[in-house]
Formats: sequence, C-alpha cells, structure tokens
Amino acid sequence: MREVNLEINEGEFVVLAGRSGCGKSTLLRCFNGLIPHFYDGEMVGKVEVCGLDTRQHPPYILSQYAGMVFQNPDNQLFALTVEADVAFALENLSFPRDEIKERVDQALKIMGIEELRDKSTLELSGGQKQKVAIASILAMHPKILLLDEPTSSLDPFSAKQLIDTIISLNQKHRITILIAEHRLEMLLPYASRIIIIDNGRIVLDGNPREILEKYDVIPYGVSVPRIVKVVMHLKKTLNNSLIPWTPLSVEEFVDIIRRWEEK
Amino acid sequence: MIIFENVEYVYPNGFKALNRINLEVNSGEVVALMGENGAGKTTLLKHLNGLLKPTSGRVLIDGVDTRHSTVASLSRKVGIVFQNAEDMFFSPTIQEEIAFALNNFHFPGDVIRKRVDWALKFMELEEYREKSPFLLSGGEKKRLALAIILAWSPDIVALDEPTVGQDILQKEKMIQIIRQANQQGKTIIISSHDVEFIAELKPRIILMSKGRIVRDGPSEEVLTDISILQECRLLPPQIVSLTSKLDFLGLKPKLARPEEVANEIARRVRHLVNYS
Amino acid sequence: MSTILRGLQFYPGKTIIHKLDPRVKLVISLLLMATAALYLEVTIITIVIVVEALLSIVAKVFSRWARTVYGAAPLIILVFIANFLFKLSMPGQSLSFQSIYESLQLAYRLVAFLASFSIFFLTTTPEELGMALTKMKVPYMYTFAFISAIRFTPILAEELQSIVDAQRSRGLELEKGNIITRLRRYIPILVPLMVNVLRRSYELAEAIEVKCFGAKKNRTYLRELKMTTKDWITLSASITLFTVAIYIRYFSRISIP
Repeated sequence: MREVNLEINEGEFVVLAGRSGCGKSTLLRCFNGLIPHFYDGEMVGKVEVCGLDTRQHPPYILSQYAGMVFQNPDNQLFALTVEADVAFALENLSFPRDEIKERVDQALKIMGIEELRDKSTLELSGGQKQKVAIASILAMHPKILLLDEPTSSLDPFSAKQLIDTIISLNQKHRITILIAEHRLEMLLPYASRIIIIDNGRIVLDGNPREILEKYDVIPYGVSVPRIVKVVMHLKKTLNNSLIPWTPLSVEEFVDIIRRWEEK
Repeated sequence: MIIFENVEYVYPNGFKALNRINLEVNSGEVVALMGENGAGKTTLLKHLNGLLKPTSGRVLIDGVDTRHSTVASLSRKVGIVFQNAEDMFFSPTIQEEIAFALNNFHFPGDVIRKRVDWALKFMELEEYREKSPFLLSGGEKKRLALAIILAWSPDIVALDEPTVGQDILQKEKMIQIIRQANQQGKTIIISSHDVEFIAELKPRIILMSKGRIVRDGPSEEVLTDISILQECRLLPPQIVSLTSKLDFLGLKPKLARPEEVANEIARRVRHLVNYS
Repeated sequence: MSTILRGLQFYPGKTIIHKLDPRVKLVISLLLMATAALYLEVTIITIVIVVEALLSIVAKVFSRWARTVYGAAPLIILVFIANFLFKLSMPGQSLSFQSIYESLQLAYRLVAFLASFSIFFLTTTPEELGMALTKMKVPYMYTFAFISAIRFTPILAEELQSIVDAQRSRGLELEKGNIITRLRRYIPILVPLMVNVLRRSYELAEAIEVKCFGAKKNRTYLRELKMTTKDWITLSASITLFTVAIYIRYFSRISIP
C-alpha cells in the first residue's frame, strides 16, 4: 500500500477494483486488524474503524465491527453443521446461550438459509457455503462487512444470488459494504462508490457512473460492463439528451430508452 | 477427432453424471462446454484422456477407444489444463516443471530443451526460468500451467474454467493464447461458465444440464437463446440481454460488438425521430 | 477395507438408539467390549454379538453393521493365523486341537470388539461426539482438532484426487515400476498435497482469527448434551447387566461351554 488516504461513511456500498495483485485484499485487511496484527511487515499511518485505532485493538475486537468473508468457501467453515458454524464466533466470544440462539436464528433468517440449519457443511453447494459464511459473520452484528472476492469460485447464477443478498444487507439493514471483486457488472448499479487501486495506490475514487463516464479504466484491470461500452458509442453518434446519465445495468439502460421513446 | 458414443458415467456413489452423451468434435474446432456447476462438464473433460472411463458407451480419440488405453498414452494427445494450477507444482524450478511431462512422454533430451525454451517464451515466463513455481503470482501460475501443457504440443487442449479469479487483462491474454493455439491447428475444448468470455471467443457451444447435452450449436445461436440459457442457470451476455429487452425498438437478441449495437440503436432512434 | 470404513460412518435415523445420549452409547459399547474381554467362551461371545445384532436391528442399521463384520473377515483370519503361528513358536507347544481352538476364540472375540464399536459410530454423529467430548471436560483444543479432522478429511481427499488426476494427465504412471521407483513417483503427489495443506492452514488461520477463536478463555456452547430419563434408564440397565456378567465370571461356579 502506498499513501492511502481514505474515508468511508456508514451505509456506503464500496467496490474495490483493480487487477490481480493490485492491493485490494491488502487494503481490506487493514480494516479488521489482520494488518498489522496477523501479518508481518511495516505499517505506517493510522487506520480508524468505528473510532477504534486498529493498531491498538486486536482482530477479535475489530472483527466485531468489521467482519470479513473470504474467497474460498471451504476455508472459512469450521463446524460440521450450518447452525454450529453460524454460532462459532459467538461461542468463541463467550456469549450466553440464549443470545447465541437469538442471533443465530436472526442471521439464518436474514441470509434466507433457515432450511439449511441442520445440514452438514460437507453437503452444501458453493453458493450455500458462502451464505453460511456471511451468516456466521453477521451473527456478530458487525457494522461493516468486508468481502474479499466472495463470488470467485461460484457459477454466475449463484454469484448473482449472493450479490443480491449482499445488496439487500446494505439497503435493508444498513450494513456498510466493502467488497473486492472482478465481476463488476452485477455490483456497479448498486454501489455508491468505486475505488480503483493500482500498485497499492488509489488511482480513482468516486461514483461508479462518473468514473466510468470520464475515465478509461481498462488499463487498471477493471472490466467495463459491455452496456457501458454501448452507451459510450451511442453518445458519440447521438446527442447527450438521449442518455442523460450512464446506466450501469441492462434494466437502467432499457428504462432510459423507454422513457425517451414515450416522450 | 473426438467421438462420444452413447456415453454414460455413474460415479461410485451412484450419481449419474453423464447421461447418453453423443458428441463429435472435429480436428481444429474450438468448442465451449457450458452449464452450471454439476452439469457434467468436468466429468466430460476427464473422459477425454481416460481419467474417467465411461460406464457405458465409448469415447474415441482419433479412433482410439479410451477404455483400452492408458491415461499416459492418451494424455500425449489430449492435454488437460485443470482449474487449480497449483495442484501440479512440485519442482524446484519452472523449467524442470515444464520438463516433467516431456520426460514422462520420453522426448529426447535435446527436444526437451527446445520445447521448454519455446514454452517459456510463448507464455512470457522466460525471466522466471530458474524461479520456484511456488513463488509466482496467481496469474503467472496460470501461465505456467498452460506452458506445461502446451510444451508437449498435444493435438487437443482442454481447459477447465480457465478464467476463474482472473482480471480483464488476464482474460484478454487467455483469448489470444487460445486463438494462437487454434491457429497452430490444435482442437480446443473449454469448459466455462464465464458467458462474457465465451461470447468474446465465439466458439461452438455445447450446453449441458444435469448430465445431458441440451444444445449444440454456434455461439450466435446458443447465446441468444435466453430461455435455454436460463434453464441451464446461465445468465445471457449483457449485449444479448440488452438487445432482447429493446424489442420495442425493433431489436432482436443478438451477439454483437458494442459499436454495432450502438449504431443499431442510433439508427432506430433516428428513424423514430424522423417519423414523429 | 472400505466396507469396514462404511460400517463406522454415521448413518442417519430417528430410532431410540440414535436418540440416546452419545455418552450412554459410548458406555454401552465399552461395556460390551469389556464383557467380551472377560470371557473367551464361545457362548458368551456369541451372546454379546447377538446383543449387538439386536441393537443394530433396533437402530435400523443391521445391514451396514453386518457388512462391517463381514468386511472384517480378512482381518479376523489374519489375526487367527498370526496368533496360531505365534503359539506354535512358543517352546513346548504343539499342533493340537486345543491351540487351534484358542486362536479361534481370540479371533472370534475380535469380531465382538469391532461390532460393538460399529454400533456406536453408526448411530452417533461427529457433532454429538464432539459435544460428548466437551461435556466430558476434554479441553476445547482437542475437541476442535477432532471436529476439524472430520470436517477437512473429505476436502483433503478430494484435493488428493485432484492432484493425482493432474499428474497422471502429465504422463505420470503410478502403477509401473518396482517399489523404489514407485516411491519416487509419489513425490509429484506428495509435494503439491503438502503445499496445499500448508496454504489451506494459512487461510484457515486467517478465517478463524476473524471469527475470534481463542478470544475468551471460557468458551460457551450453543448446544449441550443433557441426559434424559431414557438415557439414565438405559445406562443403569447396561451397568446392571455388566455387573451380572462380572459376577458370573468371577464369583459363581457356573460352568460355561
């Protein structure tokens, strides 16, 4: 990481993008204390999460404010049943039994996986495992959810389902989302902010629509949704009144054209 | 030439992964196997070099029945690049890693040297020749996996989910490599659920669902058939989705480049403006 | 070998045996084994095996249980031969009906041992086992290690298969050659496997850190084992029967065929 200055407010939905190895994962780990406590290396500067200085608090405290979900579904599930896994973190934190039960019930409900409660973790599909992983973190009631390429190993359908759930966590439950991803088409319409990282530096930071409109992001390893490319070409041939703002999803695009056609 | 005749495969636990597969792939074709996780794509790939042998029916690779061949001898012709590149690294240096298969296939020493040099160059790994494969970055590891298989120049190259976890630049590179290998006369089989990647490549598509082939045809046809894609739990490419939803403008679902779609929309828009 | 393993794997069901507290089941298995250990007499061993068979029928796992016993046949025969040969090698021993019979009894007793543990494992989930260990005040570290072993073994098995597939696809032939060359050929299997395990451990360590593992000394538990009346009754009945078995063995003059 180099000279990173950043401020993220409650309720934001932030997408971290950039080529493989640009520093997205490293940045995420700064928010829950894995950096500097879990990794060797030198950290200069200060990171404050929910008012807590990450250098002064161990990961197990910070993880209750900023929970993290990883890429590999198998390498973050520890128990043999779904319920036991969702309860795992709370048990480690010595929560009283009835509170654990309440929070587990709640987490399963929010993630829509109540029917998986008694299932063996060995029988789940990739998408289901990731949902359990998120539920097990939600049980700690974190204000922030850090996701490191959570859909990498999933097929597109499961990926979309997972992303839809993450979006609703932000919109319905006001959880601040920081997600590092390559699959941007599904996320961008809902993201309030995109941060593009190149070589450990933040090179672009702002509203996804504006960023994609103004800048060429492909050299940074960021994939531009095909429809945005269509929009760019359209703007060259027609005047801007047809497309007043950059749609980021097929639905938005169709909506704009439809409205124009009605007029 | 790959032929699947009424192939069925049942795993030891009783799960029927392939159900009456009939398939013919000609030399030099580029074919994509698509379908959700569990549809049978990887199982089918493993039948290409005999790792799995059909429980009924047969697989012919250039006329050779895989049931009567060893994996080693079939692999000489069919190179499979599996999803997890790291699963195969064990040598102290990259060049030894590439030489491993060549040794197994009994290539003479000087040929091995030449092939290793070529593979390193082709996959742009020359500077890492003496480096440990474990110290490479994720993208470099993937390139090494390809270098390893391409080094022995199999006639058929099969890739299992080559774009998982890759960024856009790495994917573009992958497309280039596939096209180059195909130009050299190789038959390419890609198992993938990355619709945008496949849409860019435009191969023949074999759509699988629950162990069966449900559709077999050119990209332009299969990737624009939204209902069958949905049946197979695949999302259509964005362009196809867009063009199909702009039917009120007179557009039809189409696999086209962004500029073409933009021009088409512009034309219809001007048409409407002129009319009103 | 796999049939033996199959008989030791949990088989789901809702029978009373399944519902018994795992500690009770453990005690019953141990008592059955102890009874078999007390006696060499064929009748008693047969009774023990019949009891186990009955239990397996009640638990609706009879066929699986029987398969373990059946699958253990080669092992039993091996033990018999080994023991018999060992007996013969002792000074003063000769090939007699008596020595054959004794070796047979030993081997037969092994069947009872194996069968009694089979019942336990067939009707107890690993989670219940974990809970039993916790309730018995085994330090959490060990219970967690046990549960992790069960959790990750299938994953590692898959990984091993992946590696074998990848290397075979590079022309590696594992079946060929003598012992020495064969061992060397396993290097391309073992090295990636070890690397995989190490990498996985690293990722797991990260994940477990963010789940606050080890944060508090007094870990709490969502689910806890509680003995029900049925459990207590079953337990006392089993202990009573066992006491009778001891009595007959040591204190009575009844002779047993």
